[in-house]
Amino acid sequence: MGDKSPAPLILSGRVEKGTVMEKAIRKYFPIFALPTLLAFTIGFIVPFLYGIFLSFCEFTTVTDWSWVGLKNYTKIFVVNGTLDTSFLHSMWYTALFTVVSVCIINIMSFIIAMALTKGIKGTNLFRTVFFLPNLIGGIVLSYVWLMIFNAILQNFSKTIVTSQWSAFWGMVIVVCWQQIGYMMIIYIAGIQNIPGELIEAAKIDGANAWQLLRHVTLPMLMPTITICTFLTLTNGFKLFDQNLALTGGNPGKLSQLLALNIYDTMYGTSGWQGIGQAKAVIFFILVAIIAVVQNKLTTSKEVES
Amino acid sequence: MKKKLVSALLCSAMVATMFAGCGSDKETGASAGGTEAGATVEAGEGSVYLLNFKPETDQAWQDLAATYTEQTGVDVTVVTAADGQYKTTLQSELAKSDAPTIFTIGSKSDAQEWVDYTYDLSDSALYSHLTDKSLAIENDGIIAGVANCYECYGLIYNKTILQNYIDNYEGAVISSIDEIDNFDTLKAVCEDINSNVDAINEACGTELTEAFASSGLDSGSNWRFSGHLAGIELYYEFKDAGCDLVAGQSEITGKYLDNFKNVWDLYVNTSAADKATLDSGALNAEEELGMGEAVFYQNGDWEYAAFSNPENGYLVTTDDLSMMPIYFGVDDANEGLAVGTENYWAVNSKASQEDIDSTLAFLEWVITSDEGRTAINTEMGLTAPFDTFTGDFASQNGFAAMANEYAAAGKTSVAWSFNATPAVDDWRADVIAPLTEYTERGGSWDDVATAFVDQWAYYWAEENK
Repeated sequence: MGDKSPAPLILSGRVEKGTVMEKAIRKYFPIFALPTLLAFTIGFIVPFLYGIFLSFCEFTTVTDWSWVGLKNYTKIFVVNGTLDTSFLHSMWYTALFTVVSVCIINIMSFIIAMALTKGIKGTNLFRTVFFLPNLIGGIVLSYVWLMIFNAILQNFSKTIVTSQWSAFWGMVIVVCWQQIGYMMIIYIAGIQNIPGELIEAAKIDGANAWQLLRHVTLPMLMPTITICTFLTLTNGFKLFDQNLALTGGNPGKLSQLLALNIYDTMYGTSGWQGIGQAKAVIFFILVAIIAVVQNKLTTSKEVES
Repeated sequence: MKKKLVSALLCSAMVATMFAGCGSDKETGASAGGTEAGATVEAGEGSVYLLNFKPETDQAWQDLAATYTEQTGVDVTVVTAADGQYKTTLQSELAKSDAPTIFTIGSKSDAQEWVDYTYDLSDSALYSHLTDKSLAIENDGIIAGVANCYECYGLIYNKTILQNYIDNYEGAVISSIDEIDNFDTLKAVCEDINSNVDAINEACGTELTEAFASSGLDSGSNWRFSGHLAGIELYYEFKDAGCDLVAGQSEITGKYLDNFKNVWDLYVNTSAADKATLDSGALNAEEELGMGEAVFYQNGDWEYAAFSNPENGYLVTTDDLSMMPIYFGVDDANEGLAVGTENYWAVNSKASQEDIDSTLAFLEWVITSDEGRTAINTEMGLTAPFDTFTGDFASQNGFAAMANEYAAAGKTSVAWSFNATPAVDDWRADVIAPLTEYTERGGSWDDVATAFVDQWAYYWAEENK
């Protein structure tokens, strides 16, 4: 069993052309891919295409539709001849929320990751503790935080939904608390992958701590940063549970993020299912564009070690 | 060769999956066309699927369904939607091929939304047994829904404490509970109790902290005001306008909003809860009444079960409690409790005729058989609006009994006019927002009035386009 020859094959992730292995993979690839592909088609592609179709329809149940063309899309913004700003409000509110949470989560988790790769005592304990909030579901977490917030704010005769900004910061705190641990793990993995000799060489060249961070650590971490910003960015845009449980969109509908706004349109207003669907399509396009742009931007800064 | 074999295998696997998916349809589609309408088999040959609205009655329905299946061999499926998720569940269930045959609608607005799915119940036994035909929803020329229970709401009050206050507290502003038969007296009593809580506790040995239990503005409690309290305003307004009290009309004027404001101010000003944090969601008004901390609590007869259940650990028992009308300062002398319902059975018109027949037979059995009546009356604790519920099956709900008592004394029961509310969730949310502003942060009452009136017309027009 001391034979190590298969190892490089697996590590490199690709198979040499013309080998027996390659032939076998080619032959049996559909068998392995098909179940997942089927599930993906049934669970994602079909509903997705059907959803786009439904956004052009008026419907009560998904099997009972009538074509209305672009009416749903115009109704998002103009209802009965007046401008309806609730969707636009959610849009910029969500954008702001995402920017703030992406910044805080990434900076904080990077700092913690740096601290926890210095080999200080109790590193493993700290990592576990910081990661734990991630294991609790968003709804439960938000109810717990709701109690904490309101218990504190009560002293000032306020609640978390006193204004849209208290709701905003409440959500930011909960989301940060939940996601920092997760991103920290990814950053730690990234930092540990930086070759020791690079750092050593920089040190010998007389680089101080700041220069080391700026010119060695950060460039080497770019792939990790790409992943983490991507994850936090899409999480921010898609945020639903915490929004629902913590603020429920209150006061009024002012703290509704996009996902909750869509849900509310879909189920809260009778006869508006089609409009909810149209909002969802716009939402998808928006998130897709932003994610692609972000990916392009950060990937271009990645370097090979 | 092998490749072809593999792909052939894969194809057949795929096809098999698809057939397996469709196989569970129980061939309803195929047999639907061939059925003779009005099959004479009493229990029917189809199956029944009830999508239940009230989570607390789930077990009772499951048992009842099992009993029925045992007796007749007809399959009865009962699925209960999670609390607050009925609409979501209904929407997805109705899209399935095995769709619910019975579902619940709450108002005319619901009936309009599901107009393609409601079967005309006018010839059903269910409708013929209905004692008060106004407890059915008529829409688009058909009877779209028949009430399966009726409920009442008003001010639940602790008569033991109130009597104690009259007997033992020197400064009591009334000499008998019966004197509270109008808004002004109610207000005087509440203000007196709330401002002299300590003296009263000392004189009467009570543990009061307030007159009115907290009026939470969070989503778990605010419907009591945007729905039920607003319903009294709507009732008087519709009555003046001469329109159908439950169907309402396209525009309202907010004629009695000042009365609404007076009652609301009374609720929040004679309560120990901090006015600025009513929407925190941390308040539990039921408990405040149950633990003898409050005297008054606006809610409905469904609360009877909570106070009669010893597991809740409340110090107050149902013997201590009674219910009085929400005196609104309009026609207090004639006002009774608010009686109505938000629960109507509708039968799915898109089901096969067989299933519809079985469903109607099942519903008839539920309201006429001993098993069904016992389940509804005792286990579910509901007050059923059918002429079969007499004698042993008359309601045991103490609050519902009060509604009858007021009616017998010549008072007019207030209709549930809030059932007319267009886009009900939206309208309520739009009213609660300025009401919260007004109560918590000194916002203007005019904003509440504006939302109340304008949003009504707005959603009405939106819904009836």
